Amino acid sequence: MNTTRAVRVGLSALGIAALVVTAGCSTRGATGGGGGAPAAPAATSAAQVKVALVPGGAHPYFQPWKTAGDQAKTDLGLGGVTFDETGQWDQAKQNAALNSLAAQGYNAMGIFGVSPTDINSTFTDLKSKGITVASLGSCPAGDVDQASFCLSTEVQQAAEKAAQAAITAMGGQGVLVHLTGNNVDSNTQRRIAGVKQAIDATGGKVRLLTTITDIDTDLQTAQKAVSDLLSAQGGQINGIVSTAYNPAVAAAAAVKASKLPIKDVAIDDDPTILAGIRDGSVSATVAQNPAGQAYVGTWALTKLVTGACTVATPGVAIDSGSFVVDSKNVASYDTERQAKTKALLEQFQNTVLRCKAQ
Amino acid sequence: MTLLADPDSETQRRPPAARRGRWVLRALTGQRAGLAVVVVVLIIVFGTLRPAFYDSRLVVFPLLRDIATLTVVGLAQLAVLSIGHMNLAVGRMAAFGALVSGFSYQVLGLNLVLGLVLGLVAGAAVGALAGLIITGTGVNSFVVTLGLDFALLGLVTLVYGQFTTLAAFTVKPPGMEELRSYSMADLCVGDVCGSPAVPQLLLFTVVALAGVGYLFARARTGREMLLTGSNATAAELSGIPTKRRVIGAHTLSGLLSGLAGFMLAVTAGSFTAGIGSAFLIPSFLGPVLGGTALTGGAVSVIGTFMGISLTQVIQQGLSMLGVGLESLNIYLGLILLVALSAVRIRQLFTRRRRSS
Repeated sequence: MNTTRAVRVGLSALGIAALVVTAGCSTRGATGGGGGAPAAPAATSAAQVKVALVPGGAHPYFQPWKTAGDQAKTDLGLGGVTFDETGQWDQAKQNAALNSLAAQGYNAMGIFGVSPTDINSTFTDLKSKGITVASLGSCPAGDVDQASFCLSTEVQQAAEKAAQAAITAMGGQGVLVHLTGNNVDSNTQRRIAGVKQAIDATGGKVRLLTTITDIDTDLQTAQKAVSDLLSAQGGQINGIVSTAYNPAVAAAAAVKASKLPIKDVAIDDDPTILAGIRDGSVSATVAQNPAGQAYVGTWALTKLVTGACTVATPGVAIDSGSFVVDSKNVASYDTERQAKTKALLEQFQNTVLRCKAQ
Repeated sequence: MTLLADPDSETQRRPPAARRGRWVLRALTGQRAGLAVVVVVLIIVFGTLRPAFYDSRLVVFPLLRDIATLTVVGLAQLAVLSIGHMNLAVGRMAAFGALVSGFSYQVLGLNLVLGLVLGLVAGAAVGALAGLIITGTGVNSFVVTLGLDFALLGLVTLVYGQFTTLAAFTVKPPGMEELRSYSMADLCVGDVCGSPAVPQLLLFTVVALAGVGYLFARARTGREMLLTGSNATAAELSGIPTKRRVIGAHTLSGLLSGLAGFMLAVTAGSFTAGIGSAFLIPSFLGPVLGGTALTGGAVSVIGTFMGISLTQVIQQGLSMLGVGLESLNIYLGLILLVALSAVRIRQLFTRRRRSS
């Protein structure tokens, strides 16, 4: 019995050993990781540029990326633009999706990294394989961005704007609640800091009752959290500020249904929120510019891959814009957003990129 | 190897030549061989449809790196499945181990190896705690590890919040980046080097496979764990210290979870509370596909590696074919069903042929 088992173990070990020590000579530069020097992108035509727009996972926020990417493909005559949301909010799965896209010939990528503290390693890997990368929608945590540039909402500033709008709607005093996303995401920490800044600026007139985190996973989770909040403490709350998509939608519907005198300020421009602004149940929202991120990001990536331009300061962060939308500008804010996208294109052309004379 | 509590009693009664013949037949017709055939067929199919599937830098290297980590996760679950238990906290134990390693690097300034050792000790300690609670209270492992999962979720989040501003330990000790990106091509004997497609991180998995394989195939302790899983009362009456074996299995599960957490942190680039959040389903999928019984008493160490490889190859292949999010999981489920049915049908045919 022992001999047979020993043979089995031995054969299994041999199989694995054969896999590990697969014969073949190579150099360190041939490894799959980021150890090698980045390959210089060869000059290519726009028709040879294939851009992948890769969010961290499925989320309504990113849906405008699809149409903006298609528009950029038509306008710029690109070889291809794809939208891949198979990352499922897991950095390992997103890395696998990115590697698959690279193997399929996509040579430029606009990426919303799942983990802001890990995404620089992914960028380094992709760059070492000759792929041009940009952070879209979210910048890496810390001071360094290994991507060519970051085009994103400045999340702390957007959260501060939203909290300021809520405080104004509350009459400059009272009790505020903050609803947000994943607590262990560095972007959430920035949003919490932004709300705190706005509250601190009131000199104690506004008190933060609580910050409810981890409720942006889906709408049902957010609805339950908001319902529990209003049932337990609705009477003492003067304002709610949401800095994540699902809590914002849930709070808009719940405040309207409860008929409590709570001033609600949301984030993004979901139809529920816009309807709430029109009927007065939502005081304001802070709209972002995902379409601008995808269009301008694709345009800039194309310029870099074709060799027409280089980045003046690699890793530079550019604010894609955030807009306070209330009853006064709910019908016209999109014009303001489109103007911001045009301004971003000019900003990239004039200052962010260094382009060769045509 | 599928290792049973008493697999060879019948085999032992046969003459040596018959035993050898029977083993060869079993090896060729068993579940692991079937899985290997399915994996090879899928690799050929995906490679034919998308030749880039064989790209060593962009596909094979990262694919093997993922398989390496998830196989260790599968082994962590296998350790407790051997005694008929479950570990629902496998992901949080990984997060806890990674937390301790990350803390060691960022706050204590320790080197890569010492941080790894502390992470493994932390994982093993949490696993041992689970085992102690189970044996001490008699509460089902499902309930205990579920409770531990919630407790660790809170604890890990709290510690990251207390010690970091980015909710992550981002300091990389010397060697971590190399461990992440170096392949066997960087290990040479004379002029002969390994393949650039095989990550060095896979060596951790080989050590884990060898260790767990040895435990259940050769060591008395492992056999006693399997007997405990097969029939705890009978094992107790046979003089096996079942409580110690239960604690040992959970300690091993925690240790391997800690290793998987470290490997994922190395692969991703930092130590975050999100580590391990996607470990639970693969932890069951690998062992069960490989032939490990959910009821205890039978484990398949190499089968776990094959099971994880199967699911990862399918996911990578579908991703290469451009299957969208809506269809990805449907195709994954369908291919797994077809693949496992094919393995089962093949086994049935072989059994009938042998009996006739």
